[in-house]
Amino acid sequence: MLGGYVGPIAISVAMLLAARAAGVTRALLRASLLLSLPIAVSVVLVSVFTRPGSTVLFTIGPFDATVEGVDFAAQTLVRLLAISLSIGLFIITTEARAFVFDLERRGVPARFTFVALATIEAVPTLVDRAATIAESQRARGLDTEGSLRARVRGLLPLVGPAVITSLTDVEERSLALESRAFSRPGRRHLLWSMPDSGRQRLVRVLLVLALVAAIVVRIAGLPLPVVG
Amino acid sequence: MTRLSLERVGFVYPDGTRALEAVDLDVETGASVAIIGQNGSGKSTLVRHLDGLLRPTEGRVLHDGADTTRLRTAAMASVVGIAFQDPGRQIFSRRIRDEVAFGPRILGRSPQRVAASVAAALELVGLTDVADQNPYDSGYSRRKLLALASVYAMETPVVVLDEPTTGQDARGVARVAALVATSIAAGRTVIAISHDMRFVAETFARVVVMHRGRIVLDGSPADVFAEDAWPTLASTFIEAPLPARLGARLGLGSTPTERAFVDAVAARHGP
Amino acid sequence: MLRLAAVSYRYPGYATPVLHDVTLELAPGHIVGVVGANESGKSTLCLVASGLAPGSIGGELTSGTVDIDGSPTTGRPLHELATHVGIGFQNPATQLSGVSGSVFEEVALGPMDLGLPARETVARTKAALATLGIEELAERAPRRLSGGQGQLVVLASLLAMRSPYLVLDEPTAQLDPEGTRLVGEALRRLAGTGTGLLITEHKTDLLADICDRLVVIDGGRLVAEGPAEEILSEPALEGHGVEPPTAVRLERALVERGLDPELIRG
Repeated sequence: MLGGYVGPIAISVAMLLAARAAGVTRALLRASLLLSLPIAVSVVLVSVFTRPGSTVLFTIGPFDATVEGVDFAAQTLVRLLAISLSIGLFIITTEARAFVFDLERRGVPARFTFVALATIEAVPTLVDRAATIAESQRARGLDTEGSLRARVRGLLPLVGPAVITSLTDVEERSLALESRAFSRPGRRHLLWSMPDSGRQRLVRVLLVLALVAAIVVRIAGLPLPVVG
Repeated sequence: MTRLSLERVGFVYPDGTRALEAVDLDVETGASVAIIGQNGSGKSTLVRHLDGLLRPTEGRVLHDGADTTRLRTAAMASVVGIAFQDPGRQIFSRRIRDEVAFGPRILGRSPQRVAASVAAALELVGLTDVADQNPYDSGYSRRKLLALASVYAMETPVVVLDEPTTGQDARGVARVAALVATSIAAGRTVIAISHDMRFVAETFARVVVMHRGRIVLDGSPADVFAEDAWPTLASTFIEAPLPARLGARLGLGSTPTERAFVDAVAARHGP
Repeated sequence: MLRLAAVSYRYPGYATPVLHDVTLELAPGHIVGVVGANESGKSTLCLVASGLAPGSIGGELTSGTVDIDGSPTTGRPLHELATHVGIGFQNPATQLSGVSGSVFEEVALGPMDLGLPARETVARTKAALATLGIEELAERAPRRLSGGQGQLVVLASLLAMRSPYLVLDEPTAQLDPEGTRLVGEALRRLAGTGTGLLITEHKTDLLADICDRLVVIDGGRLVAEGPAEEILSEPALEGHGVEPPTAVRLERALVERGLDPELIRG
C-alpha cells in the first residue's frame, strides 16, 4: 500500500528542495495549494465514501468511509501535490517572455509567440483597465461597496466599458502592429534568449531519460515503488 | 453649495511615489478654477481627492468645513462630479441618451428631473440630434462631449473636468467653454485640468499651477501669466500664452487673453 | 513621393465614400499638415495614405490611386508597405504592442519584425530613443507610462522602422505643452533627414511652426491646399471648423479695432 506514496512524495520533496534553492518556497506553496485545493476537496469527498472496500471506519448517513477509500484519496492527493508543485515551480521560476522567445528561437512562428505573450499580458492590462473603469463609475455615484443587489446592478457599468473598449481597441491595435511589419513571414533575430548552460542541458536530458525509464518500468509491470 | 478645501494634503502612492506635498487649496462656491502643470505634476491626483477616490496620506479634505474621511465616494458623487479624460472608461450604454441619464438616475433623481437634465446637457454639448445613436457610432471627440454631458446632467454643485478639450476641434472647444460658462452661471463650481493655455486664460477666473506635487502659483490668469511669474512657469515647462508674451514685450502689462491684449493696445494706441 | 490622385474611399459595409476625389502629394523631407473639423475625414485620409485602407481594414478605393515612389499601394503585402510608410494614431494605449517588458523592447519590436540582425535592431532602437530624448525611459514598463510618454514611445517605435514616409494622426493630442514642443522638434529633425511627414492636428500654432504645406479637409474633400502660412491666414478657415493660429487671430482682432497688425511682430 505504501508503494503508491513513495513516488509522488519523492517528487514533491524534490520540488520543494528546488524551490528552496530558488528562494520561492512560499510563493510555490501558496500557488500550488490555492490551485489544487478545489480538486483536492472533491477528490477526498468522493473517494473516501465511494471507493469499494471492506473495512469501514465511520459512517455519515448512507455513506461509508472505508480504509480503502481513505487510502485511495490519500494517494490521489499526494499525486495531485506532486503535479501541482512541479507545474507551479516551472511557472514561477521561468520568465514567460524568455520562455516564449526561446520557443521562437527554436522555430515557433512569431505570430504564436505574440499571441502567447499578449494573452499573458492581457490579464494585468484588464485589471488596470477595470480599476480605471471602477474609478470613473464610482465618481458617477456607482456604489461598489454596498449591498449584493447594488453590486449586481453595478455589473454592467463596470464590465461594459471593459468589454467594449477591448473590442474597439482591437482594430487600432492591429493597424498599429501592421505598421511595424507584424505580418511579415519568416524568422526574426531576437535580442533575447533564455540563458542556458551545459549543466541545464544535462539535467534536461537526464529528466527525459528518467521519464522514459518510468514509462518502460510501468509498461513492463516491474514492481518498483516509484510507479505505485 | 459646497466649499472645498485641502489642508496640507499630502499623498504617497502604495509603491512609495509621492504625488502631493503640503497642498493647500481653498475653492469657494461658484469658483472657476483651472489646474495646469506638466504631466506627473499631481493634477490628477489632486482632483481625485475632491470626491474621495483617493484619501490623503497627510492632511485633510473638507467639504463645507467637514472632514470627508467618513464619507464614501458614492456619497460624495452627489456633490462632486468628475469627467475623466478618457470617455471609454465609462461609456457602456447603447444610446447616448441613456449614457447621460445614468449619473442622474444613480443619484436618485425623479424621472422628470432626469429627462430634463439629460435634455439640457445634450443640448449644451450639441448631441441632441444623435441622442438615440450608439455612442460608438460617433467619433472620439463626440464621445468626450458625451462624457462631459454625463457629468453636467448630474447637476452636482461641483464639476471637475479632466482635460476636456483634448482632441476637440474649434467647435468642440467652444462647446466645452459654453458648458463651463453655463455651469458657472448656474452657481456651480467648475474645476478643470487642462493643457490648453488659451482655453484656461479665457475661461477661468483662477489658475493653479502645479509642479512635482506642490502648488507653485495660484491666482488670476493675469497674475499667473504675468511677466514676473514667467521664471516659475518656466521651471514647470509651461509657457504663458502668446497674448501674455506679446503684452509683456510691448510693455502693456499682463494681458493673458487676446481680448485683454487688444484692449490694452487700443488703450495705448487707439483713437 | 507619396501621392494620392483623385482618391475616393468608402469603408467596408458603407455605400457612401468618406473621401471624395482627394489629390495630395508628399515629398521626402517635407511636412504636410492636414486640418479640418472632427469627422471631416482626416483620420480616413491617414489610413488611405498609409495603405492600411483598404489593405488591412477593407473597404474600397472607389476611384483614384495611392502611389509610393511610383508604385501603387493596393495589393501589396502590409509588412512590405510598412517599410515605406508608417502610421501613428493619437491614443498611445492601443499602439503599444502589449507584449513588451520594457520601452526598449517595444521600440525594437519593429526592426525585429523586419528580420533585421540584432546589432542593427539595437542601433536603430538606440537612435530612435535618442532622437526623441527618451533614453531614460528605456527600462520602464510600457504599461506604466503616462499618455505623453506613451506617445513618444510610439513615435520612437515608428522611427525605428526608418520608413521614408510617416503619417501621423493627431500625434500631440494627449501631450502637455512641453511634450508637444518635443514632438514638434523631433518631427522637424526627422523631415530634415529626408522623411516625408503627413500630420493631422488641431493645434494650428504647432502646424504653423513646422509645416511646409497645409491642406484643409471638409466633408471628405480637400477644399484648400498651399503653403502653410498662406492657408493659415485664409479667412475661410474658420468656416471649415478650423481655428487659425494665435498670431493670425491677434492680427485680425487688431485690424478689426482699427489698430496696426504689425504690432504683434514687436
